[in-house]
Amino acid sequence: MRARRMAIGAGKTAAVIAILVWSLFPIAFIVMSSFKPGQDIFSVPPKFVFEPTLRHYVNLWASWQTFFQGLLNSTVITAGATALAVVSSTFAGYVYSRNSSRFLDASVLFLIVVRLIPPIVVTLPLFPIVNALRINDTHFVLAVLYATFFVSLGTVLMRTFIDQIPRELDEAAKIDGAGRYAILRRVIVPLAAPGILAVAVFVVVFAWNEYLFAFIFTSTNAKTAPLVISEMIGSIDGVDWGVLFAASTVQLLPVLLFVVLMNRYLVAGLTAGATKG
Amino acid sequence: MPISNMTRRHFLGTAAAGAAVLAARPSLAASKTLNILSHRVHQTVLMPEGGEDLLAGWKKAQDADAVFTTFDSNPLQDRLFREAGLPQTDFGVGYIIDNRPTSDIARLFTPLDEFQARDPIEDFGDLAPGLVQGMTVDGKLIGIPVRHATGGLFYNEALLEEAGIGAPPKTLEELVEQAKKLTFTSRSGTPVVGMIMASDLAVFPVSVARAYGGDYITKDFKLLPNPEAMEKALTTLNDLFNAGALPRSYATTRNDDQVTWMQQGRAAFTMITYARYNQFNNPDQSQFPGRIKAVPFPGSEALPAGQMAGVTEAWGMTIPANFPDKELAWSYIKEVASKRVTLGMARNGNGPVRISTYADASFAEANPLAQVEAETLATARGAFPPFPEAARAQQIFLEEVQLAVIGRKPVKEAVEAMVTRITPLLPA
Repeated sequence: MRARRMAIGAGKTAAVIAILVWSLFPIAFIVMSSFKPGQDIFSVPPKFVFEPTLRHYVNLWASWQTFFQGLLNSTVITAGATALAVVSSTFAGYVYSRNSSRFLDASVLFLIVVRLIPPIVVTLPLFPIVNALRINDTHFVLAVLYATFFVSLGTVLMRTFIDQIPRELDEAAKIDGAGRYAILRRVIVPLAAPGILAVAVFVVVFAWNEYLFAFIFTSTNAKTAPLVISEMIGSIDGVDWGVLFAASTVQLLPVLLFVVLMNRYLVAGLTAGATKG
Repeated sequence: MPISNMTRRHFLGTAAAGAAVLAARPSLAASKTLNILSHRVHQTVLMPEGGEDLLAGWKKAQDADAVFTTFDSNPLQDRLFREAGLPQTDFGVGYIIDNRPTSDIARLFTPLDEFQARDPIEDFGDLAPGLVQGMTVDGKLIGIPVRHATGGLFYNEALLEEAGIGAPPKTLEELVEQAKKLTFTSRSGTPVVGMIMASDLAVFPVSVARAYGGDYITKDFKLLPNPEAMEKALTTLNDLFNAGALPRSYATTRNDDQVTWMQQGRAAFTMITYARYNQFNNPDQSQFPGRIKAVPFPGSEALPAGQMAGVTEAWGMTIPANFPDKELAWSYIKEVASKRVTLGMARNGNGPVRISTYADASFAEANPLAQVEAETLATARGAFPPFPEAARAQQIFLEEVQLAVIGRKPVKEAVEAMVTRITPLLPA
């Protein structure tokens, strides 16, 4: 019996290690390669012990200023999209949580269906419209698009969170003279903060890494970092892998850090409404 | 002010001010702006970091600025065609690859014959005629060639020496023999394959077919004009694969693998554009700096001398038909196509489209492959002509090639399947 328990324990440990290696290896490879001398990046057999160099980061700074401009654009767009999505989702989630009608119930289904449509289907017809409105290549258009793409999921998540907040608190606030906006701001938002952060994490990760919308709707002024990285990969005069890995590391770190810091809220977001009572 | 003391009004004020700063555009010194849609390499050869701005004269003369929007090749073509399909575009010049403009696509761009007649490009006849022809669709000149990428056979001189081979191959048969001999474990302990080729590009099987006097699709849309030559090509590649002289991972080998394998000494030969020379020999990346050299891809012994046609791909500059200020766009094209700028770009690593550039002593001195490249370019042509279903046809072609090379399908059957499956995709 003890041996069986030990075997199961060992199996679980092995599975966890395998999953960790599987998920962390690509990240470790990218980060390590960004510090390796160029000749050693793809050497056979691979070199795990090497003299680290910052040369690729220096070259990245010297040759790809557009990448850093792209990072700045990504930051602005991600911040804008997150703010928009969080505010809209919170308002909408509150309405869905505290109100009920045939129309609202049906529209929840619509929110889910919208998520099933492949983004490319929506994107291409939007191109001439965005051009006609002269908002192509602006931070605004991407922030709005990213927020729009995530409002449906955000709303469903926020509704689930707000559902868990007792209605009695709303009623107590109402008796004290609070209006709907005051209830939302002073009662609901503070208690639903973990949900808001969970939505923010989803939007940040999506907006920071998104390629398709950025490719279609930007040119120069609002070009994001993933677009510049794709140019590095597709360089017709040869890929400088060291520089590419340095750029990938720089692109990866902020979002990785953010997700690690917000990890518990992300888990809360994923499990919201999983249990009752 | 501590963040904890920040009021909503402060926050909103700061956010609004930030948005205003972002929304503001710096005032431009020039009175006009020409937006150009290109690959980054087109920009860097004109305006290299820390080097001479080859457009400085044009900018001053036109009182204009050139703003480049850059993408990788395929996304760039996609974006260019979408922009040119709008009622109006802000992009005055778009760079196009010569195997893309079908009749429908060509209609999106301004025919340049009239501009050339009225305000001609300097010594137009000096532009490689084959490249100009590639930019001519339905008798109309829709683009001016600006860059070519012509393929040759690269070899690792150090590995050849190690295997006791004194000179690179002069015929395809010699290449096969040397590739087999070079499938060994080198003195450094690295397992070496004789040859590495990307399996997702038509360039390689087409080159081998041409070495036997065949082709894939000719300019007048004849599919496999010499099927026996294609059979010989696939048999040769299958033979190399069976001998281990092509990697076991052939079916998943990509362009960048060719570069890294050559740089690491894992492959002795490869076929790729001459523009990769610097990358192969870059001491920061390569284990064999200065030892990776190139020759034109050799023809078979049976092929008459001078008949081997290499594979080239060219870029041209177009003016979208929906761009209003066509005179400004043409002035840019004229400048970039001039002898001075063509030579300047070539010195910065661009494949020159003017024959006179190769004759320039300073260029030949600085570019070890200038003569080899000029020799290949003299007879080189595209891997296939543009037509609406070209991408699908290439997909099918490569699928059949791969099956034959790795031995999953008899060569004869693969060639027959190419004919059956690709014929319906060709223009009527």
